[in-house]
Amino acid sequence: MGVTLIPVGFLKEYTAGQDRLELAAGLTVAEMLEMVGIPPALVAVVMRDGELVSKDYQPQEGQTIKVIAIMGGG
Amino acid sequence: MNGYGGHILRVNLSNGTITKEPTPAEVVRGYLGGRGLGAYLLWTEVPQGADPLGPDNKLFISTGPLSGTLFPGAGKMDFATKSPLTGGYAGASMGGMLTAEIKYAGYDSIILEGISPKPVYLYIDDDTVELRHAEAYWGMGSFALEKKLKDELGEEFQIATIGPAGENLIKYACINHDFGRQAGRGGVGTVMGAKKLKAIAVRGSGGIPIANVAEFTRVAKEAYRACKEAEGFEAWTRYGTMIITSWCDENGALPTRNFQSGSFEQGPNIYAPVFRDKIVVTDKGCFGCPTPCGKYSYSKKHDIYVEGPEYETNGMLGSDLGIGDIEDIARANQLCDELGLDTISTGGAIAWAMECYEKGILDREQTGGLDLRFGNAEAVFPLIERIARRKGWLGNLLAEGVKRAAAEVGQGSEKWAVHVKGMEQSAYDTHDATSMLLAYMTTDVGAHHNRAWAITYDIAVGRDKVTPEKAAKVIELQHIRPLMDCLGCCRLQWVELGLSLDYYAPAMTALTGVEYSWDDLLHISERVWNLTRMIWVREVEGFGREWDAPPPRFVEEPAVGGVTDGKFTPPEAAQQMLDFYYQQRGWRKNGIPTRETLGRLGLAELVGA
Repeated sequence: MGVTLIPVGFLKEYTAGQDRLELAAGLTVAEMLEMVGIPPALVAVVMRDGELVSKDYQPQEGQTIKVIAIMGGG
Repeated sequence: MNGYGGHILRVNLSNGTITKEPTPAEVVRGYLGGRGLGAYLLWTEVPQGADPLGPDNKLFISTGPLSGTLFPGAGKMDFATKSPLTGGYAGASMGGMLTAEIKYAGYDSIILEGISPKPVYLYIDDDTVELRHAEAYWGMGSFALEKKLKDELGEEFQIATIGPAGENLIKYACINHDFGRQAGRGGVGTVMGAKKLKAIAVRGSGGIPIANVAEFTRVAKEAYRACKEAEGFEAWTRYGTMIITSWCDENGALPTRNFQSGSFEQGPNIYAPVFRDKIVVTDKGCFGCPTPCGKYSYSKKHDIYVEGPEYETNGMLGSDLGIGDIEDIARANQLCDELGLDTISTGGAIAWAMECYEKGILDREQTGGLDLRFGNAEAVFPLIERIARRKGWLGNLLAEGVKRAAAEVGQGSEKWAVHVKGMEQSAYDTHDATSMLLAYMTTDVGAHHNRAWAITYDIAVGRDKVTPEKAAKVIELQHIRPLMDCLGCCRLQWVELGLSLDYYAPAMTALTGVEYSWDDLLHISERVWNLTRMIWVREVEGFGREWDAPPPRFVEEPAVGGVTDGKFTPPEAAQQMLDFYYQQRGWRKNGIPTRETLGRLGLAELVGA
């Protein structure tokens, strides 16, 4: 059991349309993004179980991480 | 007429006459409603050269066809007028509950004309429309008056008010509603104040005729479900627009100390989790919203309640003033709301003054004893009050906005007066984001973000790239986003939840019985965009390319600190972007639409081209 990464919206364009990626634990969110080809600067929001976490967060086994870009501003 | 209230309410404040007129079907076919209807009425009803604060200027309060319906986010309305801040077109949208009541009372637009001899408020209870005395309310704050009118009239009345700032004709006074929603930009509240109209109270009990009830309900419910199931729903509902603060900070877009930097060393203190944990009491949404982005907050430090701050206020009354305490920002937010000031322009004006003070151009005598260093919240609070009341030399100066203030003070301060067309820039640093800079340069009210927002796009394709594709993206956004303001619904469901644009045309077709394609809607939005451009051309002598000039701050001075440290957009790059933009819009090199473009959009006859 690893970590599930869910790219939201146009971020899927960087994962060939995959909307769920199963990754090994042990990496930070930023490292995961680099690994799957999503530019970290595009990711504005990282959610873990409804809570905001930073891109430096290292997800644990079994956790689901949602990454979201901002398209509209305030 | 399906989808519409069916009438326009005309209120002449000079002589007290009130009339109802049928909404012209051909006008809403051509301009939809909301922003489109407001722009059309402004063009056709306000005489060229009207004094924005005089009796010839009018304020148009317009709902859209989707306003008050089941469609998600259908709580938006538009205020249009000739701006006392910029002298050109002003169009401000507002959420809340008011638009539904106006629509249920049967009105697509309320036209306010003339000037009342005494303070009044407008009472609307379906067909009962009266101007009522408001001398006793003159001087009251926005929240206090809204509460009082609800107590007197009943909770079901929806209220819009101006605060002392509107009464005192501060050039960027806003209109307040629902204890924290504003039509903020361009001085729409100033025009209301000039008309001696203190408030509007509306209750409607009618319905909205729908051409195909079953189909409209199906589309609206499907769209609603899509919003609730969107992957971003949880994040946006929990944190609202504040969620973008950290990202803006990381990417050099968070305005800091009058846009000298895009990164704030105290940024983490004003990020969304701190906000949520420290001061948020509950979520608050507008009419028909599946995603309540409003956050009602309580500051223990200042013992005040306020809706917010949302991102723009966080940036402009926080980092842009060097303030890194979320409770101090909430306090400044609450003061602006109660006094009736646009938080964005207020922040921009104070930030400019702070920079003047730190550079020795303003001294302590001129600031009325205030130690106006960046970060000194204790100086900001009284200054907000002084602006709203035009108290003291500095309060009166800043009440005019940064463009006029810098022109008066001079000594180079024009270089850090961050505005376009006289409107203070909202909360995105554009040292290194050429699409976003172009968006600010060309937005039809001045430097505001709601017509096009393109920073993520800039990052995705290369922040400093200067390409025709970037100009095309800005134009695309300037058609889609303002379309939502024509329809009377919120853009956030689309831009942040990813609600498919495929819902909008079918919803409009089912609602009105008129066959709309998405391209039809975009074409109308482009028509409105060119009409607002022509309002500028008509109202501002010598209007042209120089009015789209970027603030010098972003094209002459490098950013300091953060990921954009040392970056700026060379002036020739900004001008090249403008060339691409004009070319694609079908405008001449001087920024004025060609006759062919106006003809293609069906505007030639209207504007006399």
